[in-house]
Amino acid sequence: MTNLLTYLRGPWAIAVYTWREGMRKKTLVGFLILSLLVIFGSNFVTAFLYESGGSEGPTSDVDTKLIKDICITAIAIFGILITIFISASVVPTEVENKVIYTVLSKPVRRFQYLFGKFVGVQLIVLLNLCLMGILFFFALYFKERVWPTLLLWSLLVTYFEFLIVSAFTFAVSCTASSSVLPTIAGLFIYITGYLCEYLKDTAERAGQTTQVLDALIGKIAYGLYFVLPNLKAFSRIEKQIVYAQPNDPVQAELIPQLILLSLVYCFAGYILAYWIFRRREL
Amino acid sequence: MSAVIETEALTKVYEGALKGQDVHALKGVSLTINRGEIFAYLGPNGSGKTTTIKLLLGLIFPTSGTLRILGKTDINSAAVKRNIGYLPEGAYYPEFLEGEEVLRFYGQLYGMGGRELERRISEVLDTVGLTHARRRLVRGYSKGMRQRIGLAQALLSDPQILILDEPTTGLDPIARKEIRDILVELRDRGKTLFVSSHELLEIELISNRVGILFEGELKTLGTIDELLTDRDVTVEIENTTTEKLAKFSEVGVAIEDSVDNRYLLRIPADTSVFKVLDMCRDMEIKLVSVRPRRETLEELFVRVVGAAGKVKENVQ
Ligand SMILES: Nc1ncnc2c1ncn2[C@@H]1O[C@H](COP(=O)(O)OP(=O)(O)OP(=O)(O)O)[C@@H](O)[C@H]1O
Ligand SMILES: [Mg+2]
Repeated sequence: MTNLLTYLRGPWAIAVYTWREGMRKKTLVGFLILSLLVIFGSNFVTAFLYESGGSEGPTSDVDTKLIKDICITAIAIFGILITIFISASVVPTEVENKVIYTVLSKPVRRFQYLFGKFVGVQLIVLLNLCLMGILFFFALYFKERVWPTLLLWSLLVTYFEFLIVSAFTFAVSCTASSSVLPTIAGLFIYITGYLCEYLKDTAERAGQTTQVLDALIGKIAYGLYFVLPNLKAFSRIEKQIVYAQPNDPVQAELIPQLILLSLVYCFAGYILAYWIFRRREL
Repeated sequence: MSAVIETEALTKVYEGALKGQDVHALKGVSLTINRGEIFAYLGPNGSGKTTTIKLLLGLIFPTSGTLRILGKTDINSAAVKRNIGYLPEGAYYPEFLEGEEVLRFYGQLYGMGGRELERRISEVLDTVGLTHARRRLVRGYSKGMRQRIGLAQALLSDPQILILDEPTTGLDPIARKEIRDILVELRDRGKTLFVSSHELLEIELISNRVGILFEGELKTLGTIDELLTDRDVTVEIENTTTEKLAKFSEVGVAIEDSVDNRYLLRIPADTSVFKVLDMCRDMEIKLVSVRPRRETLEELFVRVVGAAGKVKENVQ
């Protein structure tokens, strides 16, 4: 046990250091402040609408929906931007400023180094998500005067959605010495993850004809659909939880599946990162 | 004497983007560094010193050849890394941390912690003379202070081996002397030091053995005493004339230095000293001193690198 602890002390020190450094990045802080302003502002927007609307009853539902719309969009956009930005930059920054030379000359193996960095990234992503989530939570509370506890489930699913993008962006960043390319790659991964369901449509439609080329395209599309993470599945559940519409109930049984799926992708991403970084010349 | 660092036929090729752009940074370098010595690793810019050091630290990987540190080939194992302190070329440390926080961070990477780490931090800060700045942000450190914090992090685990890439570059004369004293003290405590440097005068003062690298090849390797032999003799004379001095030049004796009426003649190893002394007697020149002259490291360096450069020109 003590053995394991000394083994983890190095990576943990790196994680904490990464976290401290990351929270000082201007871009990240900028995104965070912006998102908090938007979420906070959603309350004022509805308050303003309420004023001009005059009557009480009918607008209230619309207001709540508006707050939810604004907040969920803000969290999705700023959350993923922060995630991609930080995942793409922690390793390249350190390669660029050469702090990595002294770190790797200590008794820290490369996989431990990456592990520490990755955990540090997750600490940052989680902290940001928590801050945004807390504001969203209170925004809803002040509107409806009941604790929106289900929201926590939505945030959890959101985190695991981000985790997938984070892991693969991180892997790409292990090849780079500047964060530009991995940031673009991260956005690409995110968008692909959202378009993933179209691949299934393509596969099904291609399967209906008998042409060889179509069949081939169908197979490829199906293969890709199988390999790529379907991020839309995550956001669908998030929305179901947040909007809580009786005609669109939450498929709660999917949550553990999605979390497991996310962990598998995360593991694959980390292995890929290590495989890339293992023999990298610094 | 036991070997602490051994390399055999170490070769490193940096692959270029295109064919023919490969850089052959090291070409079969075989080195042995013994326990308790200061080894000076010299060579002109771009000769491959930093490349060798990065190979030793596992930051890059050899194209061919072998490396052994403390008898082990797995140079990335914790047992080896714990015993290496590394000061990179130019100093890069977390800018947003205070001096002592930087050391705390590196200490944790060694698995150190608690009171032991704090005690060690104070010790090394004292050794490198940074105690006064321990609570200041590294961002505000001067070049010399960065170099010192770099040395401090290299010393944290009290390692057996110190690998220092140009430790005194950019420092003022007093700081250089201080760093030099620290290095000698470490050597006297039984540490092994591998020091790359361009400061030949100061490295001559402290090193035991020297290796001179030129374009990735080790041109010279040996102890200071072996390499810097008493090759020439100098003769100091007084009260002479230019015509008389010209006679000396005819026999290949150069005037090395002159102050007022005193001249320092340098007699190369292949010219007889007695012949020159006879000339002095015949011309009635006043003799002040006759001394063996040890070659300086700088002269050795210029000779070795110059010769290597010439060979290269001829081949081309
Ligand atoms: N990452 C790299 N990619 C390609 N070539 C490189 C790389 N690093 C070094 N080189 C080349 O390898 C050769 C040796 O470089 P190295 O940095 O080892 O020299 P050095 O002896 O440390 O020089 P200096 O005294 O200037 O520090 C040089 O020709 C350099 O251009
Ligand atoms: Mg160098």
